[in-house]
Amino acid sequence: MTPGLLGNVALVLGFVFTALGLVLSAVAWWAKDARYVEAAKRAAVFSFLAALLAFAALEWALLTDDFSIAYTAKNHSTKSPTWVKFATLWAALEGSILLWATFQALYTLFAARRLRDYWMAPAVLGTLFGVQLFFFAVMLFVANPFTPVPNPPTEGPGPNPLLQNHWMMAVHPVLMYLGFVGISVPFAYAVAAMLARRYQSWVAETRWWTLVAFGFLTAAIFAGGWWSYEVLGWGGYWAWDPVENASFIPWLLLVAFLHTALVQERRGMFKTWNFAYVTLAFAATVFGTFLTRSGVIQSVHAFVEGAVGPVFLGFLLAVLFVGFSLLSRVASEVRDVGGLNLVSREGLLLGASLVFATMAFVVVLGTLFPLIVEAATGDKVSVGSPFFDSVFAPLGTVLLLLMGAGPLFPWGRLDAYAARALSVMLSALALSMALSLFLGATFGVALGVGLFAYNLVAVFAQAGRGVAAWRKKARGVLAAVFAYLTRARRQVGAQLVHFGVALAALAIVFSQAYRVDAQKTLEVGERAVVAGVPLTLHRLDARDEGFRYAVIAEVEVPGVGRMYPRLHYYPTMNSPLAAPSVHYGLYNDDYLILQAFDTEQGRWATLRLVRTPMVLWLWIAGGIILFGVFYIVFPGFALRRRESAEVAA
Amino acid sequence: MKRVWALLLLFTLALAQTPTGEPPPDLSPEVFRIASELRCPVCQGESAAESNAGVSQEMRRQIAEMLKEGKSEEAIKQYFVERYGEWILYAPPKRGINWLLWLAPAIGLLVFGFGLWRYLAEARRREAELALSEEEIRALERRLEEE
Repeated sequence: MTPGLLGNVALVLGFVFTALGLVLSAVAWWAKDARYVEAAKRAAVFSFLAALLAFAALEWALLTDDFSIAYTAKNHSTKSPTWVKFATLWAALEGSILLWATFQALYTLFAARRLRDYWMAPAVLGTLFGVQLFFFAVMLFVANPFTPVPNPPTEGPGPNPLLQNHWMMAVHPVLMYLGFVGISVPFAYAVAAMLARRYQSWVAETRWWTLVAFGFLTAAIFAGGWWSYEVLGWGGYWAWDPVENASFIPWLLLVAFLHTALVQERRGMFKTWNFAYVTLAFAATVFGTFLTRSGVIQSVHAFVEGAVGPVFLGFLLAVLFVGFSLLSRVASEVRDVGGLNLVSREGLLLGASLVFATMAFVVVLGTLFPLIVEAATGDKVSVGSPFFDSVFAPLGTVLLLLMGAGPLFPWGRLDAYAARALSVMLSALALSMALSLFLGATFGVALGVGLFAYNLVAVFAQAGRGVAAWRKKARGVLAAVFAYLTRARRQVGAQLVHFGVALAALAIVFSQAYRVDAQKTLEVGERAVVAGVPLTLHRLDARDEGFRYAVIAEVEVPGVGRMYPRLHYYPTMNSPLAAPSVHYGLYNDDYLILQAFDTEQGRWATLRLVRTPMVLWLWIAGGIILFGVFYIVFPGFALRRRESAEVAA
Repeated sequence: MKRVWALLLLFTLALAQTPTGEPPPDLSPEVFRIASELRCPVCQGESAAESNAGVSQEMRRQIAEMLKEGKSEEAIKQYFVERYGEWILYAPPKRGINWLLWLAPAIGLLVFGFGLWRYLAEARRREAELALSEEEIRALERRLEEE
């Protein structure tokens, strides 16, 4: 038995069990017989085991340096450290599709275990099996990682050095796929709901899944930002690169859906809108993969592989076709009824989802605009951070204003408490803006500070309202606070997420406005001021690390200590890769890059220092957002277990 | 130690990426700010401030030089536009078809907002249609009592 053989057998088994699951779901649907649903659930177990087996086979090949299959021959090196070998599985196209398929099978399995409604179950499973079948088919027929190599080499080039430079690269893609694949579950529920004509209950049933996908996607985006900060060597965390955008579009649509879903849950309205949002969010994950894998768009992240592009485009069109043909049926059948007072929580929720949808539209248009212009006029244009930054600032401002007010407002109206809180919030906004301007801040920074103060007051006002509601039931203030924190988990979690977003916005504003970036050449032993910071270059060192050469500068930074920026030389790359040294601080991050050095005698080195305020707070904000999501999602398990225990009793 | 340096020298010479011996110029924050709005012409989606490709380093050097000569930011950008075309700018100039891009947020808000408004107007109209008049309610109550 070789890894190649095992892998191919596993892929065929996975394909067969997935197809079987799809057929059983279809039979269950047409025959209206729940026994077939049970059988399809078993097929989900076996298809997951097959995917796991294929995954294990590829890891087996990577960890034992088996070059007899195409994937290892192209992307693996015996010299890589073990963790890099393990993560090489998702460092290139075929392996990342295998990871995707494995996660899809995992989600199908979990979704199958949590299905309650036998009217919808066949369609939910059928949709998930359909998506899963696509990935197995791609691996079998277009991008098979286990294709045998006739004359196996004894050494390969290893994965892209950019991916070897930081352990985050082992984590970020995994989170991204968990998020992307997670959206397939709400999508499957939505399709099933539309097929079964159960237009109302699915939004509540998929909330948990939507939040799980949202959590992973958020984690992936933050992890990607952190990776780009620590690795790409320019001291930034977000570059509006097409592939970053491709991960941001489904995130925006998912958030828009989360907010309108609340309106549907409460008022039974916006049924078609919610269906459209979920369909588009799922389609956006496929669209993103199409962008990355087809070479249509240039990006640092892109794996250019021609054959897969058209296949993903076809799948994208299929998803959109299914989604929109169902949508047109729903639109002709559903007639939502109701007057809506827009000065209310639902009004603000709709406002938020309006802005999120607009943001998604802007990102899509901005990313594709160079292609559109070239097709229309033949001219070449570029769209990058200066455009996106200037457009997102006003949209973000509106969003931050809505975010603070929304949860305070009761459903259906504005009450005295919310009005009073809003006036305090607006005063906080005005006062802190005035103070910031007085202290010499620019208008943008002052607005950022003001919006943070506004949202901070909002969090307290909201908590005050929550605790007041519990005071009637609980004895004492502390008991009420405790009851609010532990019982109103959805509210508390949402507030944590909102606070995290406000903090992230503040960190972005400061790090964008006050970043200083300068470059200077120092002799060894010399002390010089770079970007206002006196640096001393102590030593310059070279080291053979086996799979790469490293040149290391030892630099003294006052208040920080010694920092060691490096340049790495990989045999596969024709230019050195900088590995910056980062010192995180509560106020400023110091970020040192070794730009160049004296290759003849090692007497001088060119250093670039980036001093950026508040970047650490961006990562903290990410942590708060994730904790908030976890706070809402986690009792999902606990409650369900209790529920099923009660049923069993 | 010597051997490693020799190896590295060979290595870098083989790569021949930048001419050895000459250290890169010192660059002020202003240089990086301007470079961040220009595209690195040979990279895949990186700005001239981010990238360490030879062309980007050369662009940063030129920006530093032009700043020293007292040229304005606009003039520096114009210089690069003349050499590479408008493609070099990461914010497309506001004219012609590019207005479509710059107005995208407004277009998005208007289109989605209009859709929302129509949806709500429709839902309200239906509610009014379906609402029972006082007389109908009384008639129904009477029937309930009778039955």
